[in-house]
Amino acid sequence: MFARFRSLVRALTSRGDFEAGLTEELLFHIEQYADDLVRSGVSPEEARRRARMELGAINTVKEECREARGLWGFDALERDCRYAARQLRRNPGFAGTVVLTLALAVGVNTASFSLLNALLLKELPYAHPERIGTLYARRSGAEPSDRRRTVDGEQWEHVRDDVPSLLSAVSGMRATGVNIRAGSVVQYVQAGRVSAQYFNVLAIHPLIGRNFSEDEDRPHGPRAAILSYRLWQTALGGQPGVLGRAVLLKGEPHTIIGVLPEGMTTPLNADVYTALQPSREGEGQAANFVAIMRLRDDSTWQQADAELARALSETVRARRLASADPGANVTYYAVPLQKAATDTLRPQVLALMLASGFILLIACANIAGLTLVRMLQRTGEITIRFALGASRWQVQRQLWVEHLLLACLGATAGIGVAWLTLRGLLRLVPERVLPVANVPLDGRVLAFTLSLSLLTYVLCGVLPVLCYRQGDLRSSASGRGVIGGSLRLRQALIAGEVGLTVVLLAATGLLIRTLIGLQTIPPGFNPTGVITAKASLDDIRYHDPAAFRKLLTDSLTALRETPGVQSAAVGLTLPYERALLSTFTVNNGREAGRQITTNEVYVTPRYFETLQIPVLAGRTFTDADNADAQHVVVINQTFARKFLHQEDAIGRYLNTNILIVGVVADTVLSSAGGLNAGAAPLTREETIYVPAAQVDAPQLSLVHGFFEPSWIVRSASPSGVPTQVERALASADLQLPVSGFYEMKDLMAATLATQRIAVAILAGLSSLALLLSAVGIFALVANIVAQRTREIGIRMALGSTIAGTMIQVGGTGVGASALGLALGVILCAGALPPMRSLLFGVGVYDIPTMLAVVLMLAAVTLIATTPVLSVARIDPAKTLREE
Amino acid sequence: MGKTADLLPGTLDMLILKAVSLKPLHGYGVLLRIRQISGNALEIPQGSLYPALYRLEHQGLIAPEWGQSDNNRRAKYYTLTPAGRRRLREEAAGWSRLAAAIAAALRATSEEV
Repeated sequence: MFARFRSLVRALTSRGDFEAGLTEELLFHIEQYADDLVRSGVSPEEARRRARMELGAINTVKEECREARGLWGFDALERDCRYAARQLRRNPGFAGTVVLTLALAVGVNTASFSLLNALLLKELPYAHPERIGTLYARRSGAEPSDRRRTVDGEQWEHVRDDVPSLLSAVSGMRATGVNIRAGSVVQYVQAGRVSAQYFNVLAIHPLIGRNFSEDEDRPHGPRAAILSYRLWQTALGGQPGVLGRAVLLKGEPHTIIGVLPEGMTTPLNADVYTALQPSREGEGQAANFVAIMRLRDDSTWQQADAELARALSETVRARRLASADPGANVTYYAVPLQKAATDTLRPQVLALMLASGFILLIACANIAGLTLVRMLQRTGEITIRFALGASRWQVQRQLWVEHLLLACLGATAGIGVAWLTLRGLLRLVPERVLPVANVPLDGRVLAFTLSLSLLTYVLCGVLPVLCYRQGDLRSSASGRGVIGGSLRLRQALIAGEVGLTVVLLAATGLLIRTLIGLQTIPPGFNPTGVITAKASLDDIRYHDPAAFRKLLTDSLTALRETPGVQSAAVGLTLPYERALLSTFTVNNGREAGRQITTNEVYVTPRYFETLQIPVLAGRTFTDADNADAQHVVVINQTFARKFLHQEDAIGRYLNTNILIVGVVADTVLSSAGGLNAGAAPLTREETIYVPAAQVDAPQLSLVHGFFEPSWIVRSASPSGVPTQVERALASADLQLPVSGFYEMKDLMAATLATQRIAVAILAGLSSLALLLSAVGIFALVANIVAQRTREIGIRMALGSTIAGTMIQVGGTGVGASALGLALGVILCAGALPPMRSLLFGVGVYDIPTMLAVVLMLAAVTLIATTPVLSVARIDPAKTLREE
Repeated sequence: MGKTADLLPGTLDMLILKAVSLKPLHGYGVLLRIRQISGNALEIPQGSLYPALYRLEHQGLIAPEWGQSDNNRRAKYYTLTPAGRRRLREEAAGWSRLAAAIAAALRATSEEV
């Protein structure tokens, strides 16, 4: 076996030597033999002739020698490839269509798979990512749930102390914008708050310095900071001597104790890290901590799950979770961080993959159809090859080689298409939406592309070849007999692809309707002419309510004195943003005693006037609603309807002493806070407004850790506003840089970015599907006209009208399309219901959407059947003469 | 030349191995040697000689080597490899058994049946 392989390799690698040796050897034989014949008395010419004759045809002998060496297969393959390339060059239309179709289908799929690969398959960039987990809770009962859970201070203590199998750590919910001052440099950066052991759980060792100590993580412990490599380079010049130096963060000096390695990030993706200092007080009273754990070396996840369940089952929060649903059981357990981190994106990515799969199937159907026609056109050629003694295997091998060649060309072009698609796609996606830094076309993706192309090649190649086995070519010399059967098959293929196209179109239509619905919700205020600016107040100086109130008063006074400014106010959050969630107790009426969670926004007196939110009853805030006065709130309409049942809200109390003084109209909010499960991304939710002046100190430091308040300006000339706001804020506090200016309209548009991307992607895919289907129908009709020219000529000679013939020929395309439509409607019934969670304000079976799909398909089908027009150019007399 | 016999299928390889086992030979030499050692009884079809040589070489049973012929021309000589020697022994033994069996069968008379 080994000897054979070596001999083959030698023959292949020195092919020239092999051929030369073969020729020399055979010529030597002939001469020797001829010499012997001459010696026995034959004339030299006769001897040479006889010597050649006896050896036989020298080329046949050579061929047999090559075959003996195992070279024959390679020679045949090379010949087949050359022949295939020639065939394709001779039919650039066919080859081009197939390669382009393949390139688009493979490219789109490769791009989708790259996303899937980067988001779901790639391991987290930490050592032994399979040993890192996070906390989930499963709730049984009437409203079962199973999702990632954050913990409060009490629960964190139990996870830290009572679960020996795990090394645990917690962080804040997300990084927040803060100002960092190092010497004279002030930068606005993303700060993350993490507990001791956080970097140990992720197995990150600082490049220089150390991780947070237990001491630094205790409440009121020493203030320390760990910098990312990038911040170290940009703000501190990358000097190694930074350890022990102080930077001003949130207005307080923090000692730099470490710098993370280059390119190393955490789930928080922050520029600077400070110690979380978790406790049961303040933010620790609610579930504001995200837990991550690393399984210790000699433990198993089963042990860890049991310990977690035991440690957390009796906590206050677990009991409250359970009590929301009587009889329910809450079990905490660990889930790999990889899965948890990708949970939210998984359905979208899989849906994208599915839609791309549709495109591939459609492309396959098209290519199979085209190939079928191509084969029928070549019936004559193939019949001749059979007649010349080619075996069935040889002919089929030739066809497979052609398909393979096309598949390779398509795959190569497809990788290019994928690269372009990805670049376009990533440009659409706003920063920090994807949890990964880049989406590479790596080995796994290329392997996928390769297998996909091979699959396509098999799918598209098998059909025509199988078809060939059926028709006995030798008997149908010109191949006319096979056409009828193949037409059915092609129509079926086109019906299939049109069916898939209909599903994609319908899905796109539903998403577009949802998006239009969300975009046209009346905002509940007047966004025109409103500019907002955010500034981080997560600063020790503003934990004092008096300083906070002075900042508001000074900056707003300065703004109001600015010419052109009609009105100015400050609010913790804006409409179209997510708001703070707070808990209140209803004090009177039917719902008395009920604890409710609601959106809460602190606002300055002119907030409603500045945004022009209509006041429905009572009053809004005035400067008299100060810290020492009666605590008051304004509620919105939904709050009044939901919890006060339209009874007169004014004069009622929340908790024990908070007086409701007014009711305002609803504004649109982002539902990202998750107050009402299953809400549309933009909704009208219960909201309570409190005067900024009445927020107490603990609350201030807490909310400014989560949100950056907005300065809101309504101005006749919005262009000058940024400088005016900066000047006004500077006049109140020189050290308070603005983190960004937003026109209210842009802010509103940004909230639907993800929906818009989804619509853009799906619309792109369904347009591609429609285009491919149109190409399929077009090719079908064009081929029928071309193949049946003679038959059509005879029909017309016998008195058939041009119009009648056109209808008859075009009918095949229209019929296939209509069949596909019916198929698509049936498919929709199965495929669309899972989309329900993405649809708002529109049902899964939406008549207008379906009508639009039908109309679009009808228009495209009509355009695609235009090749029937060439029927008019057929001259009966000429076609009849041709044969 | 006398009467020649047709080659039985499968015997050509064995004869080539035998011829080469006596002395390294070039292709034409193999032809002459087989004719000689069979007492001019066996005639090798020339067209099938070279494919057979290439097949045996491919199987590692004979090894080629370029050398000088008697009339000082470059020629490709084949020698038997150890694997070829083993194969020749097996095939010769197999052939003897077959020949003996066929001879015995042909000697049978009606009484023995």
